[in-house]
Amino acid sequence: MAPILMDIYAFCDTANLSQVEARYYEKRPDREIECTLCPRMCKLGDKERGYCGVRENVGGTYYTLVYGKACAVNIDPIEKKPFFHFLPSSSALSIASAGCNVNCKFCQNWEISQVRPEQIRHIDFPPESVAQAAETNRCPVIAYTYSEPVVFYEYMYDTSLEARKKNIRNVVVTGGHINPEPLLELLKVVDAVKVDLKAFNQKFYTEYVRGELQPVLEAIKLIAQSKVWLEIVYLVIPTLNDGAEEIRRLSQWILKEIGPEVPVHFSRFHPMYLMQNLPPTPVSTLEQVHRVATGEGLRYVYIGNVAGHKYENTFCPNCKNRVIKRTIYQIQQIEIEKGKCKFCGNKIPGVWA
Amino acid sequence: MSRVVIVRGNKTLSSGKELNLKVLTRMYEQGFALLTEQNNPKDSFHCIFPVQSKIGIKINTIGGKNISTRPEAALCLANLLAKTHVQDENIIIWDRTNRELKDAGYDLNLSRSGIKILGTDTQSIGYNKNLTAHRNIGSLFSAIQTDLISASISLAILKDHGLAGVTGGMKNYFGAIHNPNKYHDTNCNPYVAEVFDTDIIKRKHKLTILDAIIVQYHRGPSYHVKWADTLGTLIFSLDPVAADTAGWTIIEELRAKKGLPSLKEENREPLYLKTAETLGLGKAEQDKIDVLEVDV
Repeated sequence: MAPILMDIYAFCDTANLSQVEARYYEKRPDREIECTLCPRMCKLGDKERGYCGVRENVGGTYYTLVYGKACAVNIDPIEKKPFFHFLPSSSALSIASAGCNVNCKFCQNWEISQVRPEQIRHIDFPPESVAQAAETNRCPVIAYTYSEPVVFYEYMYDTSLEARKKNIRNVVVTGGHINPEPLLELLKVVDAVKVDLKAFNQKFYTEYVRGELQPVLEAIKLIAQSKVWLEIVYLVIPTLNDGAEEIRRLSQWILKEIGPEVPVHFSRFHPMYLMQNLPPTPVSTLEQVHRVATGEGLRYVYIGNVAGHKYENTFCPNCKNRVIKRTIYQIQQIEIEKGKCKFCGNKIPGVWA
Repeated sequence: MSRVVIVRGNKTLSSGKELNLKVLTRMYEQGFALLTEQNNPKDSFHCIFPVQSKIGIKINTIGGKNISTRPEAALCLANLLAKTHVQDENIIIWDRTNRELKDAGYDLNLSRSGIKILGTDTQSIGYNKNLTAHRNIGSLFSAIQTDLISASISLAILKDHGLAGVTGGMKNYFGAIHNPNKYHDTNCNPYVAEVFDTDIIKRKHKLTILDAIIVQYHRGPSYHVKWADTLGTLIFSLDPVAADTAGWTIIEELRAKKGLPSLKEENREPLYLKTAETLGLGKAEQDKIDVLEVDV
């Protein structure tokens, strides 16, 4: 299936946007509403849009404008999301709509995440068509990714239901800015969530993300408590969130609240969007971060965005043998059988079939 | 001192809420005369706009027909400019989208001749492809502002705003960027000032006129008839900060008259005005603003 690329400069008529009622909001007097989907809790008058730019109050009813409106469609290896312990080497039909509920200065997909839906070309791709496309293209997974799936919640939710009818799994790639109630509902219909934890301090979230850390941590805990598979990504940005002490506190928090077995990916930053003034993360910094996290007791720690690095691979924490060999999202070798290390029989956590 | 001219029109609006164009024209003439100390609009415009300017009139139409920059006000200004200073094809009345323009009562003119009325989303216009990063702002700007005009008038509706406190001439330029939804945190401060402080806006902006014909003084920016008052007023200034400061004063006066708390008491005073003053964009303190008031 050929990728359909985004184009920020292609306008569509606003009449072509969806007008499907949002599922999480409360009506207020005088045609005002309060969105309850994410921690921002936008309070909006008539004709106003939320921070995400893809939800609009029309006469006191709140609508999602992006239901069934995909602005990016691709088939990616699941390792690209990245999920390293979830159906390795699977193809994931990956979709996104416009919009995001934060504004990271280092966003690599800002041309779709930081725009309004009418500012970008999109296709009509309703839930049943997405599920059908995944089946036709032999994708066992649908990924909600690229921008921020929370802002196209209803579309993601209904597509997940359609996918399940065809035994297709659903994975979500998110910043984790979502309120508990919609998150718990979502967890009933998806199979894995990858959370981008941007830093482990509120100052960073305030200055570079325009969001709140605590709700993200709460979301991570809720996902960990569910049956849904969880992985965490942490983009390591030189001088801003790469301090050993911050990584130590983060690792201790994960250990205490989630446990040692959640895969944690420390990814390399590249200058992007509004953060062009910093260099790419030195590999030595990533290796130092890796040492700190493993030193604290995390068992599956990865280095991301460094092609061919040793820590793209999965090692059995018991016998130390390499059990999955990866090179740039490609699986070269798997030494896991029925969820266990082929060498020593140690259980490797994940969803393997 | 920065000068602000407040022109109140006698019977600007008929009982049917139609604008009296003769009164409106006189209001503009008076406003420009007092603002520039010239005897006629032609000389006033010469003081404000360089010769051969391509003039953009940025209006605010998000509020629909009830509470947007009124079409008659925009067209009256554009016609006055066309009669005395620039050819009509060098004038663009514009906002974000054609849908909003139409909803607010504007008849689009996308043709090459005449005064153009169009939105940024017109095919072949769109946003300039260069991402502008300035202080806390990272935005694409309308190609109308970046490429099609050389001088800009902010002809904004004056309204209460639930987050910014006041929306007037400076915040009107949120409609020139592709992502205004990202800049409403912390009472839109410092964002309103910082969008204005970009070269794309600051270097082209020449004049603020606030449409205070009908003013939403509470629960804005949406229209609520019970908190909207007919003032029949236009506010002129070459200082964008002083103009909005004067607009804020009017809103506070209306609120006080109706027994409503001040914006400060509601924790939403427009602090971006102070930020704008700090950035050197104009005057935000009353004692640095010379207000002239006149009735027409």
